[in-house]
Amino acid sequence: MVQATEAVKLLVGFGEPLIGRLLTYDALGMRFREVKLRRDPNCPLCGKNPTIKDLSIHMEGAGQACAPGDNGQGTSPPSAVGPAASTLPPAKPGG
Amino acid sequence: MKTLREMLAEARQAIREEGPEDLKARLATGEPLVLIDVRDPDEYRDGYIEPAVNISRGFLEFRIGTATTDPNVSIVLYCQTGLRSALAAKALKDLGYTNVINLAGGYQRWVQSGNATVKDSPLTADQIQRYSRHFLLGQIGEKGQRKLLRSKVLVIGAGGLGSPTAFYLAAAGVGTLGIMDGDRVDITNLQRQILHRTSDIGRPKVESATETMRALNPDVTVVPYPVRITVDNIEEIIKDYDLIIDGSDNFETRYLVNDACYLLGKTNVHGSIFQFEGMATVFAPDQGPCYRCLYPVPPPPGLVPS
Repeated sequence: MVQATEAVKLLVGFGEPLIGRLLTYDALGMRFREVKLRRDPNCPLCGKNPTIKDLSIHMEGAGQACAPGDNGQGTSPPSAVGPAASTLPPAKPGG
Repeated sequence: MKTLREMLAEARQAIREEGPEDLKARLATGEPLVLIDVRDPDEYRDGYIEPAVNISRGFLEFRIGTATTDPNVSIVLYCQTGLRSALAAKALKDLGYTNVINLAGGYQRWVQSGNATVKDSPLTADQIQRYSRHFLLGQIGEKGQRKLLRSKVLVIGAGGLGSPTAFYLAAAGVGTLGIMDGDRVDITNLQRQILHRTSDIGRPKVESATETMRALNPDVTVVPYPVRITVDNIEEIIKDYDLIIDGSDNFETRYLVNDACYLLGKTNVHGSIFQFEGMATVFAPDQGPCYRCLYPVPPPPGLVPS
């Protein structure tokens, strides 16, 4: 529902898209939260000195696009938004 | 008495003129911009520059308020060759709009420079009824609906996330919907993956997904990809789509989709869900972070309940 609504907004060009914002949804508590996301200047893909310039990292035997131990399961809880989370402002209630 | 030439010269003194390349650059940056086609409605119907609204020269001063009331916003006007719009731009300037630009050479030069235009085909009676609730929303309207009907969206995954997303987009009248999944329908999918039915068990997911969406909305061209997305097929597939929806269920695919979308300049509407928790965001290349900014490395397995 959220993804479909975002798609329609982006295609037609209205509203404020979820660019740079992470919307999290906790169905147990029925709470939506919003976390601001910033670009990582050291991002290997979209940072200042990118090292990923094509998809060769994903080729078999080309190394790890995705570290071992990936259990292939869905999302992680908002508290585990990766190392970048430490630089993020506290989540705001939203939704 | 002034000659036409003198009037045009006077108008050009007062306004700014830019060529097709400048307009293209402005549109690419996504800066606030009001683009107005001042030709007559029949000329506009034959093709126009997206996302222009049509306000004919004769009505411009009366209707400009419907397009913008911000005197400082950039307004680009165009007509067929750039003459009518030069005079129109001068009129807006006189009204107090400070940032009025005339597209030099008009629609004709825009087309000759090889730039894209769009042409609206008339909506059918059925379509007018089907999308009538969209028309009531000012932000969508008939124009937005035509845009949806011209849009191409690829949904990666026909599972828990891809199912409802693709289903809603089919309902909304997204003209071309690619749906990609290499799996077959299993009975354990049915409690949440709403594109598939009990009778579909054992069939490729994209087959049942295609049938369900076509039955919902015959306006939609569904393109099924009965394969898993891989490094070998992703670029070839996503290049033709306007927007990518990531409804995949594993980190490997998410990194692949993220990287390919970024490298090809495609916006990626990302979603993920686990048990009772979900998250969604939009990765728009160079307008915000990407998935790797969020997760430089996959979260350690301990943090992700399995």
